Formats: sequence, C-alpha cells, structure tokens
Amino acid sequence: MIPTLGHLAVVIGLAATVYAAGAFILGGRSGDAAVLASARRAMYAAFALVAFACFAMVVSLLSHDFSVLYVARNNATTTPPFYSVISLWAALEGSILFWTLLASGWASLVLYRYRARLPALMPWVGATLALGTAFFFAVMAWPSDPFVRVTPIGLEGNGPNALLQNHPFMGLHPPLLYLGYTGMAIPFAFGMAALITRRTDEEWLAVVRRWTLVPWIFLTAGIVAGAWWSYAVLGWGGYWAWDPVENAALLPWLTATAFIHSSMVAERRGTLRTWTHALVIATFVLTLVGTFLTRSGVVNSVHAFTTSGIGAWFASAILVTLGVALALLVWRLPDLRDRRPPGAVVSRESAFVFNNVLFLGVTFAILFGTLYPVLVEATTGAKASVGAPWFNRVNAPIFVALLFLTGVGPALPWGGASWATVRERFAVPILSGVGVVVAAWALGVRDAAPLGIFGLATFVLVVMGDEVVRGAHSRARSRGETAPLAVLRLATRNRRRYGGYLAHVGICVMAVAIAVSATLGIDRTATLAEGETLSIGPYTLTYDKLVTEPLASDPRVIETRAELTLAGPQSGHMATALRDYPNSATAIATPVVRTALGEDLYVTLLGYNPDARTATLRIFINPLVMWIWTGGAIVAFGALFAIWPDRRRTAVAAAVAGA
Amino acid sequence: MTLARPVLPPLPPRGRRWGLLIGVAIVVAVIAYLAFSSVGNALVYYLTPTELLARGPAEVGKTERLGGLVKVGTISGEAPELTFVLTDGTTEISVHAATAPTRSFREGIGAVVEGELGADGVFEASQVIVKHDENYVAPSQGGLPTRAFDPGS
Repeated sequence: MIPTLGHLAVVIGLAATVYAAGAFILGGRSGDAAVLASARRAMYAAFALVAFACFAMVVSLLSHDFSVLYVARNNATTTPPFYSVISLWAALEGSILFWTLLASGWASLVLYRYRARLPALMPWVGATLALGTAFFFAVMAWPSDPFVRVTPIGLEGNGPNALLQNHPFMGLHPPLLYLGYTGMAIPFAFGMAALITRRTDEEWLAVVRRWTLVPWIFLTAGIVAGAWWSYAVLGWGGYWAWDPVENAALLPWLTATAFIHSSMVAERRGTLRTWTHALVIATFVLTLVGTFLTRSGVVNSVHAFTTSGIGAWFASAILVTLGVALALLVWRLPDLRDRRPPGAVVSRESAFVFNNVLFLGVTFAILFGTLYPVLVEATTGAKASVGAPWFNRVNAPIFVALLFLTGVGPALPWGGASWATVRERFAVPILSGVGVVVAAWALGVRDAAPLGIFGLATFVLVVMGDEVVRGAHSRARSRGETAPLAVLRLATRNRRRYGGYLAHVGICVMAVAIAVSATLGIDRTATLAEGETLSIGPYTLTYDKLVTEPLASDPRVIETRAELTLAGPQSGHMATALRDYPNSATAIATPVVRTALGEDLYVTLLGYNPDARTATLRIFINPLVMWIWTGGAIVAFGALFAIWPDRRRTAVAAAVAGA
Repeated sequence: MTLARPVLPPLPPRGRRWGLLIGVAIVVAVIAYLAFSSVGNALVYYLTPTELLARGPAEVGKTERLGGLVKVGTISGEAPELTFVLTDGTTEISVHAATAPTRSFREGIGAVVEGELGADGVFEASQVIVKHDENYVAPSQGGLPTRAFDPGS
C-alpha cells in the first residue's frame, strides 16, 4: 500500500512540475500574477509529493518490505534502523529519489524567498527550475522507478552494500554532496532568466553570487567529508585517489569557484561578463555530466556493465541543456559586452583572469583524464585507465600556481599596479616565505613539495595578515577603537572580503597538510605472531590476540579483529578488524585511526591466519591529516561568513524600500 | 514581450588586451603540454580474458595486465593464497594473487591484475588493482542478486 502511494506521488509530482513549467512560461509572457502564483504552488506541491515518496521509501526500508525490489536489494531484516534510513541514498533508484527531494526543495525555497522580488526574472527562474525537477521526476517515472515491486516476496533481503553500512559517515557525506550538486541548478536558473529577459546587471550578479555560494558551501563540505569517509573506511591510508566519482564531484566545484572569483570582477569592473555567464552554465552542465559518469557506468565499465537506461536520459539532458544554454548565450552576446577596458597585466582583475584560466585548465585536465579511457576505447577499442600519478603530475603545478595567486590577487589594486606598489606589498611576504623555507630546510625537511608549499602558504598568509593589519590600524586610529575590536568590526562590516580571506586561510592549511601527508608519511606492512612487538616511528605496537565474534549491532556480521597495545606518544589498547558481511564475498576493512594534532597512526588489518594466529598489518603514520579536514571546515566557514546577511545593510535596504 | 533594452557602452580600446592575452596563452599552453605530453605513458592498458587467450600460447610467461569483472562466488582464500575468476562475459580466466588487493575488492567489481599467464592457464598476479567502486551501477548478469535473496527467480 505505502509503496503504491509513493509511486503515485512520483507520477503526480511529474504532472505538477510539468504544469509549473508551462504556467511559469505563460505567466512570464503575460505577467499574469494569478498564473504565476499557481505555478509556484505547483512547485511547492511537487516538493511535498516527493517528500511523501521519500517517506514511503523510508517506511518500506524500516519495515523491511521486500515486495519492493529496491528494499529487497538494499535491506535485510537485521539491518540496523540508522542504516535502513540512509539506504534511501545508498543505491541508484533511491539516490535519484533523494536527489529529486533536494532539487525540488531548493526550487521551492528560492521561489518562496523571491515570491515578491525580482518580478521580471522570477517566472523564468521558476520555469528553468521546474523543467529541471520535471526531468528527475520523469527519470523516476520511467527508467529508474524506485517503487518497482517483485513477486514472490522473499523472506530476507540482500542487505545494504557492506561498504556503505560500515561507517556512520554515510549518513553525512552524500546528503552534503547532493545538496551542493542540486543547488547548482539555482545559479543556472538565474543565468537563463537573465539571458531571456536581458537583465544581466549587477543586481542579478549579486543574487547569483549568493546562490552559488550557498550550494558551494555544501559541495565543499561534501567533498571534504567524502575524502574523510574514504580515509576512515576503505583502509588504504589515503583520502583521494582521482577516481571518476571523486573527479565528478570536483569538476563543478572548480568551475563554481572560478565563477565566485570572476563574478567579483564582473560586478566591480563590468568586464568578464560573458565568461562569468558561461561559468554558471558550465557548472550546472558539469553536475549533470558528473551524475551521468557515476550513474550510467560509462567510465567504470570494464565491459558492457550497465543495464540501466538512465545513461541515455542523462546524455540527452546534457546535450539539450548545453545546446539551449549556449544558443541563448550567443544570442545575447551583445548585452554582455565589457563595460570598461580590461586591466593592466599586473592588476587585480588580471590576477582574477589568471585564476580563472587556471581553474578552467585544471577542470579540463581532470575531465580529460577521466574521459580519456572512454575516448581510447571508442576510437581504438583498447581498454585503458589513467592512473593517479598522471593526475598528480598535471594538477599539482596548477594548484600551486593557484595558491600563489591566492596571495597575489587580494593585494594588487584594481586597474593596474606600479612597480613601487608591487615592491611595497610583496617584499615582506616574499622574504617571510623564503625565511620559512630556509628554516624548514634547517629543521631537516628535504622534499621539494612540502618546502615549496610552506613558502607559498607563508607568502599568502603574510599578504593577508598585512591587509588585515593595515585596515584595522587605520580604523583603530580614525575611530579610536582598540585593535581587536577594530579587526572584528572591519571583518563584520566587510563580510565578503574577510570571509574570502578566511576561506583562503583554510586553503593554505589544506595545502600544507596535503603536501606534508603525501610526502612525509611512513607506510609499513608486517606479519606478526601473537605477543610480537613492532616499532614504527615513535610508536611501539604489540599484537596481543586475534578475536572472532559476531557484531553486537548486527549478528549476521562476523568481525575478526587484531587487538593491539600501543606505547609511545599515544598509549592504550586498540583493535583493527576485518568484517565479513553476509552479502560480501571479501571482508571489509575496519581500520583504526589514532588522531593527534601532529599525525595520525593508522592501522589496518590486511589478513590473518586463523590457525597460526598471525595477523598481517599495514601501518601508516600520516602527518597532519586532521588539518585537511580542519582546513576544509575553515573554507566552508569563511564562505558562510561571507554570505551571512549583514543586518545593517538589510536594515538600510528595508528603510530605502519603505521610504 | 516589452522589455527595456539596456544602454550599450562603447567598445573598449584593444591595446591593453595583448599583454593579458599573451599571458593567458602561455598558461594555457603549459597546461595543455602537461596534460597531453604524459597521458600516453600514464595510460594503463589491459587485455580482456578473450583477448589474452586469443593470443595463444605465446603469451605464457609474458607480463601483462588483465582486466575483467570478478565473477560472483569465485573468490576464495586470503592473500597470498587468494584466488578468483575474472570474466568479460564470454571468457573466464582463473587468477591467483600473491598480494592483497587494494581498497574495496569484492565479487562483481571490476579489477585489473598485473602478472603473467601460467602454462596451467592460471594467471599469476603480482598486483590486483580494484577499479572504482561500482555502487551506483545497476547490476548486470551475475552482479546481483547474491546468495541471500534472489528477487524474481
């Protein structure tokens, strides 16, 4: 009964979104307020309907209703309730359902907030969002129906994918990522509306900037949380492998980040306007490409591995979106002409241009590396894959150049900089950077990557620190404020600028942590007998015994763990395990990680011999890894700080509007 | 539609553009060089089981990469005594792996193994590389359903 209602909700939701799209277009042309209001209500209804469909799926999962194929494949009677609920997004059909929930949720939020504002733009924003949501409803109505039933009904289901039920992080990382992905439809909708109505002005830019940053924060958090999940669950000691799914999440993040930067130039200087528009389109199209790559099996396929029909649907959606958006853009090119001559080569806007070229360059490189095996297979028939070393070799220099620009951009004046300014602004930061490199060398760091990143990060941080000190100093002098108060006021009165600086601090922290953890770690594999002791770095590890027993939370899962005693900087007992899930032929690693500010001790059980009681352990000492997650959090917090509504400015705007 | 036409500004002078354009062109050229110069070497080619066997007995003892799906129900043992069957849908080859596989090795997943084909027809793998996690790919024949429950059959 409940699954049937869920299916019905999907079908009615499709009708509601199609109606909304039509009504928005008609209302946009005629300006009829009643038609537009009905279109908005249809979108709210679609959100309520898909929310009900998700509820129906969660109820089916929690009640282990194996008459639903999705439940039979992804749930078992012993699945703990938490993992039953998050199984909503653990496989293809459910994830599309959840995706539609978020997409229509974003659409409803935007339509509600702007119901009385931007009257010329909003009908077209609504039409674009309604069409996008309708597409996902259609995917659920035809090729990827989450409520397909089976007979005869089995007594037991297959259970969730073992990897996905091994860590509670699965409850956090996909929703964050999906919120970021689906939210990128909002700037695209505003972009289309602006091109249709020819209102590509600063007011539009301010709205789009804000609504790009909102999903961008989720996307950033989702990518970092995904890296963390990979580190904590997969037991390989690393956090980023350049595999297609990771790349798919990174691509729209890169173009959205490029947009956040270029939109500042477009807003302040009236240049790069076509480019900025193209980035909005590219970001949305890349979210579709990412979905296509990860859901259709194109990239992963070793052989004809996909039987799902959604590949063709997504490919068509990508082509139609790209075609329509580019045609609109070309048609409106005369409106997007630059309003001012471009800046000198050494100026803030040129720094932004180079920033954007680099972001686009890295986007193309990653897209190329991800798709190259597909191209090779299509043209020569040979099967191939591009490995992580290639991605590192190509992308590392680009990211280093971007880090350099992070320091250069904010300190250069708009328009052009004289040699004297350049010398005054950069002499101290460059000397500080060189000083840190020399100091690190003296302390024994010999690898080029960490040395270079130490120097660059110092350069960037000193440039920003100098900016803050200058601003605070002049504020403290002119208003008689104390230094800390002046810094706080300066930041809260210029949220965008100082939020951006904070995000850059986070990037520096991440860059240092990545460079150090990638080069200065220790990785050892050893087979130990019970009672044997191993020394690695400052730690002494004793393998006490092997224990095999069912898991308390799910007795179908058999855990074999090696119990260890640790002595050294962090002492105590710990255990690293392999878990046998009934629906997985190989055991799933459950690594143990001891995190400290300086380094992580990471132990994973590779294998064991139940007769000899030996355990093969892989032990990593990963320096600074927790600073990657911390840096990501700082980036997200900086962006949040930047878009946080400014009470004073809102009050002034309200007063102006009311007068 | 009656919409206000924005006032168009005059076109900017073109002189300043050149310096910037040259800078951008250099950056693009460097990135393109980085990407294209090394991708050929970075490619990891592999043969499917059908292709490997089609090459005949000359292949025995030569180091090759073999790619396919790990056939459901064929994994047994732990490294260094791990064995499983790789299939491309038509041909199957038994694999014996001496080292533990990377990451999320399990049945139904795509894997590339490096090693050599023995005279007994078993591929001796020195390395097992699991291709990306295929959580979101709909099952093909043999992928799902597994032992516990078999919907529709």
